[in-house]
Amino acid sequence: MTTAEVQPEQHHSTLSRTFPIKPKLKPKASTQSQNSESKYWSSFKNQQIPDLKSSVPSLSFSPSSSHLFAAAHSASLTLFSSFTLAPSSSISSFSDVVSSSSFRSDGSLLAASDISGLIQVFDVKTRTPLRRLRSHARPVRFVKYPSLDKLHLVSGGDDSLVKYWDVAGESVVLDLYGHKDYVRCGDCSPANAEMFVTGSYDHRVKVWDVRVDNSRSVMEVNHGAPVEDVIYLPSGGLIATAGGNSVKIWDLIGGGKMVYSMESHNKTVTSICVGKVGKVDLEESMQYRILSVGLDGYMKVFDYAKMKVTHSMRFPAPLMSVGFSPDSMTRVIGTSNGIIFAGRRKSKENVKSGVVDFWSLGSVEKPHGQVLRPSYHRYFHRGQSDKPSQGDYLVMRPKKVKLAEHEKLLKKFRHKEALVLVLGGKNPETAVAVMEELVARRKLLTSVSNLDEEELGLLLMFLQKHSTMPRHSNLLMGLTKKVLETRAEDIRASDALKGHVRNLKRSVEEEIRIQQSLLEIQGIISPLLRIAGRR
Amino acid sequence: MIRGGKSYVSSPPSFSNDAKKLLVCTGDTVSIFSTTTALQISSLEGHTGPVTAVIVEPACSPANIILCYCWTASLDGTIKYWDFSVPELMKTIDIRLPIFSMVIPSLLSQQPTENNEMFAYVCVEGQIARREGKLVVCGHIKKCNLTKCRLAGGITLKETKKPELLIVSSSGKFLGVRVKRKLHIWKVPEMDSDRVVIKKVTLHHTKNMTVFAFHPTQRIMAAGDVTGRILIWRGFGDRTFAIGDASLNERDLKDDEERPGVRGDDDADSCTTWHWHPTEVNVLSFSSDGAYLYSGGNEGVLVVWQLDTGKKKFLPRIGSPLLYFTYSPDPSFSSISCADNQIHLLITPSMAILKSISGIKLPCSLPETHEGSCRGVAFDPLSGLVALCTENYCIQFYSLFEDRGISEVQVCERNHQPGDDITVIVNVVALSLDGSLMATSEVKLAEEGIGGLVCLKFWVSGSQKKELSLSTVIYEPHRDAGISAIAFHPTSRMAVSSSYGGDFKVWVCKDGIEQKDQKLQNTCWSCHAVGSYKKKAMAAATFSTDGSVLAVAAETFITLWDPNKVVLVAVIGESLMPIVTLSFVGNSEYLVSVSRGSKPQLSVWSLSKLSLSWSYKLNVEAVASAMDASSFAALILLPTSSKFMEINESSFQGRDGLILFFNANDPVPAVTWSVMKANGGGLAFLQVNPSSLEGNIPDGKSPQTLLAYINGDHEYVIFDPCGRESQKLNVIRKEGVAAVEGTGPFGYASLYGELPEFDPKRNTTSWVPSVSSERPWETIFSGSSHNLPPLTKLCSSFLESLLEKRTDVVE
Repeated sequence: MTTAEVQPEQHHSTLSRTFPIKPKLKPKASTQSQNSESKYWSSFKNQQIPDLKSSVPSLSFSPSSSHLFAAAHSASLTLFSSFTLAPSSSISSFSDVVSSSSFRSDGSLLAASDISGLIQVFDVKTRTPLRRLRSHARPVRFVKYPSLDKLHLVSGGDDSLVKYWDVAGESVVLDLYGHKDYVRCGDCSPANAEMFVTGSYDHRVKVWDVRVDNSRSVMEVNHGAPVEDVIYLPSGGLIATAGGNSVKIWDLIGGGKMVYSMESHNKTVTSICVGKVGKVDLEESMQYRILSVGLDGYMKVFDYAKMKVTHSMRFPAPLMSVGFSPDSMTRVIGTSNGIIFAGRRKSKENVKSGVVDFWSLGSVEKPHGQVLRPSYHRYFHRGQSDKPSQGDYLVMRPKKVKLAEHEKLLKKFRHKEALVLVLGGKNPETAVAVMEELVARRKLLTSVSNLDEEELGLLLMFLQKHSTMPRHSNLLMGLTKKVLETRAEDIRASDALKGHVRNLKRSVEEEIRIQQSLLEIQGIISPLLRIAGRR
Repeated sequence: MIRGGKSYVSSPPSFSNDAKKLLVCTGDTVSIFSTTTALQISSLEGHTGPVTAVIVEPACSPANIILCYCWTASLDGTIKYWDFSVPELMKTIDIRLPIFSMVIPSLLSQQPTENNEMFAYVCVEGQIARREGKLVVCGHIKKCNLTKCRLAGGITLKETKKPELLIVSSSGKFLGVRVKRKLHIWKVPEMDSDRVVIKKVTLHHTKNMTVFAFHPTQRIMAAGDVTGRILIWRGFGDRTFAIGDASLNERDLKDDEERPGVRGDDDADSCTTWHWHPTEVNVLSFSSDGAYLYSGGNEGVLVVWQLDTGKKKFLPRIGSPLLYFTYSPDPSFSSISCADNQIHLLITPSMAILKSISGIKLPCSLPETHEGSCRGVAFDPLSGLVALCTENYCIQFYSLFEDRGISEVQVCERNHQPGDDITVIVNVVALSLDGSLMATSEVKLAEEGIGGLVCLKFWVSGSQKKELSLSTVIYEPHRDAGISAIAFHPTSRMAVSSSYGGDFKVWVCKDGIEQKDQKLQNTCWSCHAVGSYKKKAMAAATFSTDGSVLAVAAETFITLWDPNKVVLVAVIGESLMPIVTLSFVGNSEYLVSVSRGSKPQLSVWSLSKLSLSWSYKLNVEAVASAMDASSFAALILLPTSSKFMEINESSFQGRDGLILFFNANDPVPAVTWSVMKANGGGLAFLQVNPSSLEGNIPDGKSPQTLLAYINGDHEYVIFDPCGRESQKLNVIRKEGVAAVEGTGPFGYASLYGELPEFDPKRNTTSWVPSVSSERPWETIFSGSSHNLPPLTKLCSSFLESLLEKRTDVVE
């Protein structure tokens, strides 16, 4: 039994229609095909950016429309264009390994921290260090520009301190104590310029507000494992934390209650970020997802509205960092061995430009060219290259039915010739289809009995090759028997045909052996299955 | 009460003068269709027998083109004159003889006749003297004075053994009739009157002729014969009809010369033969300018011959034998009537089919080996549709309320060639309750044992309810065994198919993602479970109304299953012959089974007691149960034994079937109707929403459930089974074709005195070991273990069954 799925097709009137002779449909794989979301995520065409030498601990996208992204690797920071995925420039004025970087909300400044404890602020265009912020005694692990504030910076480091900087004056505004281990990560609220969260190896995630006097954390949640990454979700009311094998979602407004714990990674989750799903043109139809990557090499897409992992993708290396561009066209993942897996969707630029054209047409009258007169040569070619526009009524020319060679023969009732043609052809499916059609016309045995010696050899060769195929064996086995019965005389008379029959016999014996061993295996398995079914 | 499903092709149709209407003889009425929409506009009702001819009075000037008058003739012996735009009956002429065909030449010739009298030539059925003690029915061709409303006295142009079709030339000068190998042609006198001598010419051929046609302007006529040849006579009747012409002598001289092809002493100049059709020619017609000849036959190809050169053009793949070709007053427009009850409207020069008037298709004829395995009718009770398997591998959806074909679905991608051996059959069709799912099964017949294939197909409808598209194809669903029945689950997307190979399969639909603006994608039906019962062939399967029980008939047993887990719940048995149909009776606890064969049986089983409730020895053709009530209807075939035939003759007047309407808990039928052509018929209860019936049911209160009966020729009638209509049926029953007679509950026992084998004792017996079988050990242990009685009970009954019974010694 075979099951085949059929794509819907249009149905016309049944009158005066020819049907091509088609082979039987092939069954489709029983696994569910991609749903629309996995289609979306696989539409990011993967591309490798190699040669970065060392692990990529941080990836950050510029929020401005320049769509740069910065990848930190060893003691340098490389800026890539997210359109071409090619390095556009590199900053290497670091004394030690770069740990983190962050763009300012307008995309013109870039802050980067390194293991030596120094935080530098660069002009993105000129790549000159504008400010050097030194206060951390131990390596700085994260630095972040608040999304609504251009003047301050937040940083945290291995000295378990969180610092709030005034960038212009290169001075620390606030030292925030509270963490008892390395501070590894942090994020600033998208809704409020004064609030941010930090996560530390002491399993705690703390929420800070710089307006609070005593410089103590406003709220604290316990992740239960060293926190590797923490982000605010776009509403500003939820945060997601990554640590150990789990990603947890917390409700800050609801008093720091855990909403959900996603535990589908097998190793430590190293980085998370927010991604968007949906059509680009319709901003309101975009839905937010959490993208998480881990040392197990998996990127998982988590729908935190339905609390479901909607897509999962495997990469051949431990993954360290992930980034998603604000225009949701590019997704980059950094690995521990210096490769960046960048993915970019095909953009629909033409759509946008078309829209622009439409508006410009409405406002500005197109300058009209010369009026064509019959004296011009171009007059006679006018309109030939015109493309139909959207509203035009198309008069369709009736489609010409293309017939394959064997179909033409069948149409002329030259059955034997059609059979010989497909037997000599390459596609066994069509050959079987033609045989089925001949059966339906009650002409197969007649045409077999009309075959001459050479053609009979062709048929025997075909039968030897394909009669044991389960898909066709129903027809071909019966046919083989009939051929051997009806053409026994001719086969006996010719040595070549005898050879074919010998081959046929061999392949049939082979098939019988296979079937027997399959039966044996079935005999072994079926009691096991029965026992398993009983439990 | 709604009737429909009439044949549109019993007689040639006729176009109105503006070619915007087509008048089609449909049983006792003439239906008027619009040629632009192919939908019925109105109908002429008044005849009491089948209408055999309809003639539209042609417009004599372009201004009169809107005139809408027509003459009709019917087997009830009347000729009627109508204004069909209103429509209104203007005049009735009763000639008291069944009219088989009628022509009115004076309408065509447009000559003023003497006293403005109009004459019709009719072919009527008359009786002549008894020959060898039998009344011989024969055809008479007579003349009828339409103005004076009587037959022209005593003139009989010709007597034939059978009533034949009269044909008139489009100029109205000649009329003719074909009798076996001869053509008789009369010249219509220019000044027609009651007693004028009509001249006649006879042309001969060596084969039986089937059809002939006159050239519109010249003296040319064409005739087709049974072997597919087309004969063309030129200059017929020159000698006989041309007396008084100056050319008389010339013709006489020519007589001695060679007249190629003309047989014997026939009056024609020449006769040529064309041969393309492989079998008999059914259609012959000259184009209105006379340059082309259209011919068609059983092979379903319309051939256009260029008259001068004999060159051919074809319109192939019409898919059904052609019956009539009708020209309209608009020269670019014509119609062909096909044997599958379709009328195609044709644009003549481009030979394109513009629209089709789609009547209900006829049941497909099956090779003997597959007789009885076909369930080619399925009903969609909510929307009142019936799905029919047709010969060209389609499923036709026909609206019972609107009486028109809705759509066709090509099940098997093959071109149907009428007349070929049948090698592929679409034999089972099933619809889900809401009509959105369909399953079909087709069988490719093997050629000498090789290449047979059974194919199960699932179809789903898109967002709009109409378009069904193929979703899944399953090759060889039950190995090589044929599918006996398919049933859909009433609520969920589940189906069951049972096979003669001894197993049934439960199929479920895996849904894909539903996208906002598109229809379901990636739906795929896959096998959910397989079940079998002692390897017995399974001939019927059905779900209960709430979908909680699946009943499958395994030969003589009924097995009840849990459809989700596919666990055998219970076995009820057994009937005398293998069960072929199963049906749950609404929401009640009863199950109806039907078995055929030498001991046919209609049985009602109680599911609460798991035992037979009551049964009759009846040959049941179809069963339908109402969806929410505890009633069901059965269509039974009356026995055809000679003894019975006598009773049948007197009380049933040729009707061969009965519809019995039962309450499941009462073995006495509530209502009975007698019907014709019950063999191959079907029954269904239709759910009605009152809006769809507006205007069809005269009394404002329309019933909720209607019973639809479709007979062997696919004519149908819909009526309220429990309403007051049982009296009303009596009024309309004169309709000869698909009459349903409302006899009400009548002397059932007098006819079926020997039949009732209703045994009240059976009601009381418990089901378990005492199933009345000769070999009870086969049934004792059947069923799943939790249903079996305790071992102590079983053991004793098992041992008992092994012991020899000595019933005869009791006395």
